Amino acid sequence: MKIYQVYMRPILIMLLILGMGGCKDYFELNQNPNLIGNPPLNSLLSTTTQKTALNSQRIANISSYFVQYLANPGAGGSTDTYQITDYTGAWDAVYFAMADLYDMKKKAQEQGASDYTGVASVMLAYHINLIADTFGNAPFSDAFTGTTLTPKYDTAENLYATALTLLNEGIADLAKTDTKVKLSAANDLIHKGNLKAWSKTAYALKARMLNKVSKKSTYKPADVLDAVTNSYTANTDDAQMSSFLLRNPWAQVARNNALLVLDGWLSAQFVNQLNGTTYGVFDPRIEKITDKTVKNEYVGTVNGQGNVGGNNTVKDETYISLNSPLTGDASPLVIVTFAEMKFIEAEAAFYAGDKARAYAAYLAGIRANMDKYGVAAAARDGYLANPVVAVGAAALTIDLIFKEKYVATYLNPEAWNDARRYDYQYKGFKLPLNAALPTFIRRAAYPNGEITKNGINVPAEVVLSEPLWWDKK
Amino acid sequence: MNKLLQFCIALTLLLYSSFAVAQQIEVSGNVSADGDATALPGVNVSVKGTTTGTLTNENGQYSLRVSPGNSVLVFSYIGYESQEITVGNRTSINVSLKGDNKMLNEVVVTALGISREKKALGYATQSVKSEELVQNRQPNLVNALQGKVAGVTISSTGGAPGQGARILIRGINSIDATRDNQPLFVVDGVLFDNSTSEGTTNSGAANRGVSNRAADINPDDVETINILKGGAATALYGLRGANGVVVITTKSGKTGAFRANYSGTYGFENVNKIPEVQDKYTIGYSGVYNPQDFFPSWGPTVADAIKIDPTHPQKLYNRYEDAFVTGKQLQNNLSFSGGNDKITFLSSIGHLTQEGVIPFTTFEKLSVRINTNVKFSEKFSTSVNLNYINSGGDRYNADRFNESLSYWSPRYDIRDYLNADGAYKTYGNGNPIYGASTNKLRDNVNRLVGGVNFVYRPLGWLTLNYRAGLDTYSEDRKRTAPGPAGIANERVFEDNGLGFVYQYNTNFRAITSTFAASANTKFGQNINATLRVGHDLYDRRIRGFGAEGTELTVYNYFDLRNAKTIVPTQSAEDYRLMGIFGELTMDYKDFLFLTVTGRNDITSSLQSPNNSFFYPSVSLGYLFSQQFKLPQFISMGKLRASYAKIGKDAAPYSTVSGYSSYSQLPSGTTGFTRGSLLGDPTLRPEFTDTYEGGLEMNFLNNRFGLDFTYYNSISKDQIIRVDVTSTTGYVNAAINSGSMRNRGIELILRATPVKTGKFNWDVNLNFSANRNKILSIREGLTEINYASQSGYANSTVTMRLVPGYAYGNLYGRSYRRYYANPGEENPRELDRSRPIVIGANGFPVINTTQKILGNSQPKWIGGITNTLTYGDFSITALVDARVGQDRYNQMGNWFSAFGIAKYTEDRNDTKVFEGVLADGKPNTKAVWLGQGKGPDGVEYGNGFYRNVHRGVSENFIEDASWVRLRSVGVSYNLPTSLLKKSFVKNARLTVTGNNLAIWTKFSGYDPETSSTSSGSNVDGFTGFTYPAVRSFLFSLNVGF
Repeated sequence: MKIYQVYMRPILIMLLILGMGGCKDYFELNQNPNLIGNPPLNSLLSTTTQKTALNSQRIANISSYFVQYLANPGAGGSTDTYQITDYTGAWDAVYFAMADLYDMKKKAQEQGASDYTGVASVMLAYHINLIADTFGNAPFSDAFTGTTLTPKYDTAENLYATALTLLNEGIADLAKTDTKVKLSAANDLIHKGNLKAWSKTAYALKARMLNKVSKKSTYKPADVLDAVTNSYTANTDDAQMSSFLLRNPWAQVARNNALLVLDGWLSAQFVNQLNGTTYGVFDPRIEKITDKTVKNEYVGTVNGQGNVGGNNTVKDETYISLNSPLTGDASPLVIVTFAEMKFIEAEAAFYAGDKARAYAAYLAGIRANMDKYGVAAAARDGYLANPVVAVGAAALTIDLIFKEKYVATYLNPEAWNDARRYDYQYKGFKLPLNAALPTFIRRAAYPNGEITKNGINVPAEVVLSEPLWWDKK
Repeated sequence: MNKLLQFCIALTLLLYSSFAVAQQIEVSGNVSADGDATALPGVNVSVKGTTTGTLTNENGQYSLRVSPGNSVLVFSYIGYESQEITVGNRTSINVSLKGDNKMLNEVVVTALGISREKKALGYATQSVKSEELVQNRQPNLVNALQGKVAGVTISSTGGAPGQGARILIRGINSIDATRDNQPLFVVDGVLFDNSTSEGTTNSGAANRGVSNRAADINPDDVETINILKGGAATALYGLRGANGVVVITTKSGKTGAFRANYSGTYGFENVNKIPEVQDKYTIGYSGVYNPQDFFPSWGPTVADAIKIDPTHPQKLYNRYEDAFVTGKQLQNNLSFSGGNDKITFLSSIGHLTQEGVIPFTTFEKLSVRINTNVKFSEKFSTSVNLNYINSGGDRYNADRFNESLSYWSPRYDIRDYLNADGAYKTYGNGNPIYGASTNKLRDNVNRLVGGVNFVYRPLGWLTLNYRAGLDTYSEDRKRTAPGPAGIANERVFEDNGLGFVYQYNTNFRAITSTFAASANTKFGQNINATLRVGHDLYDRRIRGFGAEGTELTVYNYFDLRNAKTIVPTQSAEDYRLMGIFGELTMDYKDFLFLTVTGRNDITSSLQSPNNSFFYPSVSLGYLFSQQFKLPQFISMGKLRASYAKIGKDAAPYSTVSGYSSYSQLPSGTTGFTRGSLLGDPTLRPEFTDTYEGGLEMNFLNNRFGLDFTYYNSISKDQIIRVDVTSTTGYVNAAINSGSMRNRGIELILRATPVKTGKFNWDVNLNFSANRNKILSIREGLTEINYASQSGYANSTVTMRLVPGYAYGNLYGRSYRRYYANPGEENPRELDRSRPIVIGANGFPVINTTQKILGNSQPKWIGGITNTLTYGDFSITALVDARVGQDRYNQMGNWFSAFGIAKYTEDRNDTKVFEGVLADGKPNTKAVWLGQGKGPDGVEYGNGFYRNVHRGVSENFIEDASWVRLRSVGVSYNLPTSLLKKSFVKNARLTVTGNNLAIWTKFSGYDPETSSTSSGSNVDGFTGFTYPAVRSFLFSLNVGF
């Protein structure tokens, strides 16, 4: 060991110095160059406002088959016929958006930016409803914290309460005037930084929620009407978003279909209501929703049946159209509208016994929706004057309100909530051909992503005809 | 590259010119083996200090022109002791070579390029020599090792040209599915990156069989590969060697003979196994014929369809036979080598071009190498190795190809995918061949790997060694698809959309710097000691940039400026690791060998103070045959024992969370979103403790050899990047989680049952078995899901880590089994012996709780190589087996859902499912399996296969054990007598067949293929993979 002491020690020490000297910084690569630590609030606002609208479309792209706005071009489509289908993509998108909202809200709270906390609360409430109304119980109180990797599920009823609280908090925050950071107009892709508009949207979402429990004993039409009053007063108030990387996702569906990658076929149920088959009245909105077939008519596809009568690439059915103000390349994705508020008002007033208000709201709803779709005044007024529509306050029925609201919520996920509350009693509404359930669908199955990654918490699978809590008496 | 070639040629000429042609005489003679006097063919005879040399012919004869007098002839032959003989004035010199005690004095390359006698090692290593390596002419070096090394599992992830292969030593060490579990590759002392880059999601590279970077190595350049398996063997490499190390030594020039060598290979290949499909039912749904239906096979029978549609073919096509083509490959290698006392050199150039069995998939590789070694003096020498590689090709998404293949109706010919006007032709569903022809990913890698090594021996007992290495490459990837051409009524291929052009560039640079000083000394008569200390630095830098342009204005002009929107992508990663190490080896009387090592690593991927950690190893080799007089038939006996602790760090940036750019906003707006990873700043290094013991014995003059190893290793604080539910707001999370144990045995048997003059028979067998158990996982978690693959109707199969169970378990939905007492049911394990529960509707009930349905890890693996040599002929056959492993066959799930599988031909049968009702009474209800209204008037909806069968994962987790005839090679050496007059020194013709036969119960493609790329640890999924191939290769090898 003498050799070691004489020769090796100096070398070892030299090496240590060589290696360690200045290595403090050299080995501290604790910043990931691909990430930033603290994004400004406005950069989260642009992300979350866009995601909110895109998620509305993602869920609608599922529920629109259940409410039969859309029908699969082929027989036996999985969503179309109530089969257990994996919606991990939509579920994940909603949760990733909520995580961004959660962070935006937290950062806004730290910075005393009440504008941002308010907007974040409203959008969080919206997302909670998207998830809970589609799947039922879902994680929220345990979610996004970074402390647990398997968040527990809150009951759908608790989620409802949470969302309502968030809306109320949002409304309170939006009313504050001492925000430390003003809402960035350029990054607010929904309301362009307009706090008043956000407040109205918060009330609109609240009206939706209060009205959603119409089957329950807790349902209070007066509260619904109160919320409606504070919500929108014109179509220009509508919450919608039109900033896309490429185009409106429905327009993408329409383009794919035009290029024979078949998608976005309108259901016979929906088309038949509009083209006069079901009610004997031609609804001019159909001209703004879709285009005529090569045979110059409006023909829908029966859910579960798919294409009939020859080649599926012959354009003898109606589809989501690029020519529609709702589904064109630059069309906005509509989250909640003035017209919908009017129908909520009509329904609540009807249950409250105020048939006059209900009837006025019913007509106003149709009119607002016609205007939104850009129907010509003459056609609009002609439809409004049709005796099947203009039944008078005394003859107004819940059926009429649901019938008209069904058109106004075209491609909106809220339509499925209505359909379930209404027990799918739309005239002519049938089970899809070869349905996987003996009765109408009431919920979607938890996605694979949850079963695999949060299996210990996912509720046991129930048959998809089992109603959600608010869908039961 | 041009410069490199010029240099290489210049060097060659220089060496040529140094041959002095003086007055010479011819010397000839016989070389035979000492003892039995058999002639030794192929003995290297060279003139010392010159480049002149020759080989003996099959009769052991040689002749050589030398300058008379002091010329010294050197006779060398593997397995024999070299002899030097001064020529004097003799013209005939006969030599008998003494067999050296091969097993005793075999020298192997161990950690950090240190050559050590194998007998002195206290741990298992196994080496593969050049001849064994090139025997099956595999272009991917990793594949070339298949079946040849005990304890090493190699899976070719698919048959695509240049496709990655996965190599695992002693099973999974780290449970992180995303983390490289593969061994470190070291080529001539330089760390050689073997990553498989999956790139961005849009690049689609993950499913396109991109290469593992070790595929860049030209197998023809390799002299030996030594596999270091356990902790003690790899200890000096530090954490980078935690998964084992593949030490590759490339060929170098030999003093004496100047050599030129050419080898050329032409080959063709076919899919080795295709699934069986039904040929009774045609396109449509619910038994209703619809020639444009999405469903390829739920229509009526072919006979019924013909009645409706006279244009329907009489017989369905078989798309699995039609969609694939015959692949081809051509390899050419040329090398020059030689040298004298001062300088030795080797230069080589190799080229490979290959076309795959999926149409339009290709791979090309060019490799140029220069190795030189210069000895300035007895004290100082230096060597330089340089390797330039250009590789890449057209890759197609095998997953999409096969998924589309499932959807494609066999009513139509899949090869008929273009209209007369050149536009895409389809009845409706996407044609995978058209996809392969238009939806492209082309990669192009330019790589330079070089190392320079200085050895300085200032004193007899002291050696200083410094090596600097560089591994750098730039990888260009271009992904393109045309938009519609604008032809009337044109069909659009869904994946191509309106056309796109994505371009990516990645620059990789890794520097290796290793300094080691070693000192030898003797303590008294009996103890030799060597102390080695050193410093090791690895610095890696990766920069990626890309632009994804979507929607092309001119449909087939693939230029970013032609795209409607462009989304940039960018990535950066730095990683640094430094180690300080020491090793002390001592041997006592040449029979007891002790090695102690220690290493301290400092890594950039953990945060202080967790980023610096020390770990030791100790190993002992005991050559008892040297100490005791053993019976004559035992030639050698040795016991080994070792213990090692190895640390392992995290993937870079695992300690950090943050926000990444959100790329879905239109230009003009930017946004950020939560980054996908939940980092943990407190991550600790993971440690693996390995105990290993072994026995080596040689018998009957080394005609029979045995090498047995047992190991037991426990990894603690495993760092995992676990997939987490999106409800956490993250995609994955880095955590320290629990511990895992691997233990197993490895057995190598060698024998030479026949050894006569002309006829030799060698057998080489390796066998290994590994058992794995998850001992614990992070507190608060009951299980960790680390991978999943989808199946219809939530029949998704997941892989989870559950304490008490093995890595590789496959969980999924099963048929519910009957329990009279439900409390008896094990919630995780499926009891297949119990009767299936049948519902009131007459169909089996699905158990929606996922249970263990199989395991992806083999119970044992083995390989046996037989080599028969008769004179100039030799035949080598390798059979290897992997037994007791299961795979989820995703294609099988589709085969059920779409009525493709042969067994779905019973769809119109009425049957009584065997099983019991909820009350335990036998089921007696007859049900119809078809769709719609059955003959009994009952509405059956989507039918049994779609309602029930496809939703039961149990049906698609299959026994994927196999035994295969991996390769058979027949070669013929042209007799040297024929070549005597020519400048050709030796010539060999070889015909090789790879993957000639497979025996397996698996119903899909060859189950060796994998749904995940070679960089992934997830090995439980197969199905929609690039099918494996059977290849036939014809090679010519000529030496000059």
